[in-house]
Amino acid sequence: MVEMIDLYKDYKVGKVLFPALRGITLKIEDGEFTAIAGPSGSGKTTLLNIIGCLDIPTKGDVLIDGTSMTTLSTKQKAEFRKNELGFVFQTFNLIPVLTAYENVEMPLILVNMPAEEKKERVISILEEVGLSEFINRKSNEMSGGQQQRVAIARALVKEPSMVLADEPTANLDSMNAKEILSLMKELNKKKKTTFVFSTHDPLVMEFAERIIYLRDGKIASDKKK
Amino acid sequence: MKILNLAWRNVFRHRRRTLITAAAISVGLAVMIYMDTMMNGLDNLAAGNIIDFETGHLEIFAKGYYREEGLFPLDTIIENPEFILQRIAKIKTIKGVTPRIKFQCRVNNGIDELPVLGIGIDIEKEPKVFETANTVVKGEYLKNPDDILIGKDLAKDMDLDVGSFLTIITRDRYGTYEAYDFTVSGLINTGHPLLDRNAVLMHINIAQRLLSMYGITELCIKTRDDNKLMQLKNEIAGKIGKDFEVYTYKELNAGIFDLSEMKRSGQFMLALVVVIIAAIGIINTMLMAVMERIPEIGMLKAMGFGNYNIVKMFIYEGGIIGIFGSLFGCFLGLLASLHLVYYGLDLSHMLENIDIIYPVKFIITGEINYMTVLSVFIFGVVVSVIVTLWPVRKATKLQPVEALRHV
Ligand SMILES: Nc1ncnc2c1ncn2[C@@H]1O[C@H](COP(=O)(O)OP(=O)(O)OP(=O)(O)O)[C@@H](O)[C@H]1O
Ligand SMILES: [Mg+2]
Repeated sequence: MVEMIDLYKDYKVGKVLFPALRGITLKIEDGEFTAIAGPSGSGKTTLLNIIGCLDIPTKGDVLIDGTSMTTLSTKQKAEFRKNELGFVFQTFNLIPVLTAYENVEMPLILVNMPAEEKKERVISILEEVGLSEFINRKSNEMSGGQQQRVAIARALVKEPSMVLADEPTANLDSMNAKEILSLMKELNKKKKTTFVFSTHDPLVMEFAERIIYLRDGKIASDKKK
Repeated sequence: MKILNLAWRNVFRHRRRTLITAAAISVGLAVMIYMDTMMNGLDNLAAGNIIDFETGHLEIFAKGYYREEGLFPLDTIIENPEFILQRIAKIKTIKGVTPRIKFQCRVNNGIDELPVLGIGIDIEKEPKVFETANTVVKGEYLKNPDDILIGKDLAKDMDLDVGSFLTIITRDRYGTYEAYDFTVSGLINTGHPLLDRNAVLMHINIAQRLLSMYGITELCIKTRDDNKLMQLKNEIAGKIGKDFEVYTYKELNAGIFDLSEMKRSGQFMLALVVVIIAAIGIINTMLMAVMERIPEIGMLKAMGFGNYNIVKMFIYEGGIIGIFGSLFGCFLGLLASLHLVYYGLDLSHMLENIDIIYPVKFIITGEINYMTVLSVFIFGVVVSVIVTLWPVRKATKLQPVEALRHV
């Protein structure tokens, strides 16, 4: 369970502080399939980054299973990300010189697992996101949608307990998007993986079981289906 | 192991970056090795010139004669060289012995006067130790009693030539001024500045007459085996007793051969500059290479890589690039050095008019010091690792998002 308690995040732009989050209090239960929606600039990415311990809030706290993130050391945060989290970035952040296979393999490097099993996992997840023909293609030689799917595969390959996905369908056509969302839904049902999306995409909101609207860094509404 | 594997693969993935970085290391190291080879060559040539023209391998003086370089006293001389010659006659490793008299004097051509070192030589024995006879470039060797040999540079400076008359003015053993007229019989060109510009050579008996003495100032010895110089020195010292002293050419020229002195002489500074330039080249490219990948560090962090693993990965990468670059650099440096060893570098036209204090000939041939090659190799690897460490340490201090956004 993730609890956000009165979160604030200010960005420094030159000498002025720009408030991106202004008092977010929110609870996300294990096994949720939740979308965070809101206009561009409303703070969706910022919120996901803070949930994933990739950034620190200016004020407030995030509790994950009761543990306060602000008290964790850098090392403990890394451990948490390694064991529990999968990330899909809005900008993908693939390593351009690596192939699809190698990018997806990266998170497994730190995991103790037989090499054979690693290989199987990487290939099967790439198949599931529909990239079986592009396994050995370098990521900078792929289309935006293909790159996005590599990024999704990379987040899922470890089978983490929580996946934070920043606009995971922004570059996909509705066919592909549906497939990916179904895949995620399946994982969510089978393995109780928690999914938190940020999105503008009506399709994602259709799939989501809970939709949180952000506006100007505040929660405007929070609806469960 | 996993991290080393990853690092290894990264090195070959970023092919262009790896090549540029390794090339910077290679060039830096190659220059360092080449410079060292040249320096060693210079030292060797200096030693060669000193042995061939100035002192031989060893010199015997009367006790108390040798106080410091450049001092030529006449109060403590070898009065009876025959005594020593007899005592050392049976030593097999001695190739030749010749007496010399060195004294301070002034050359006068009728217009100008210059202070020089007068050297009295025994023309019979001289060739057994020194090469002077082979360096006469104009005129001929000493023959008549009033013949004098001068260096080609001194000839130029004083407007003298073969057949010119000159006067040597000095004080004899008792401090009385003496003058003697000579005829220039030949010009020598040794490559040793002392002989070429600052000395005159005459018959030893003329020098004795000029200085009102019968003895000599030194006995110069050439050995057959210069690796056992200290052994020979001790053997001679044992035979000739406490009234005399033996010095090696190295001891007599500590200023040139001493390491601490070398530092002062600018050689060390030159080496230091080369090292710094090489290091800056390596630091520059390595720094760029790592900065470029700070977003990647952010990504690794997001995936749960701890700082320890990230730093480790980059150290491995820096190390691998360092090893390859250094290996190639050493190879290049050795190749260039071998050229210097076998073909040499002809500096004759460059040195024509430069008055260098360093006693060298005109062609520098190098000598490779393999210890230097090894230390240069280690230097290359260590510098590349340290240089990687610094920006990576900085990147690990960033929040993952900050690293991801880093440009
Ligand atoms: N590093 C930053 N420095 C300064 N301001 C920032 C930074 N990152 C985000 N912001 C600002 O914070 C606000 C929230 O940004 P955020 O990226 O969270 O929005 P978002 O809801 O994800 O938008 P989008 O839908 O366009 O992705 C924006 O107004 C943005 O300009
Ligand atoms: Mg965003």
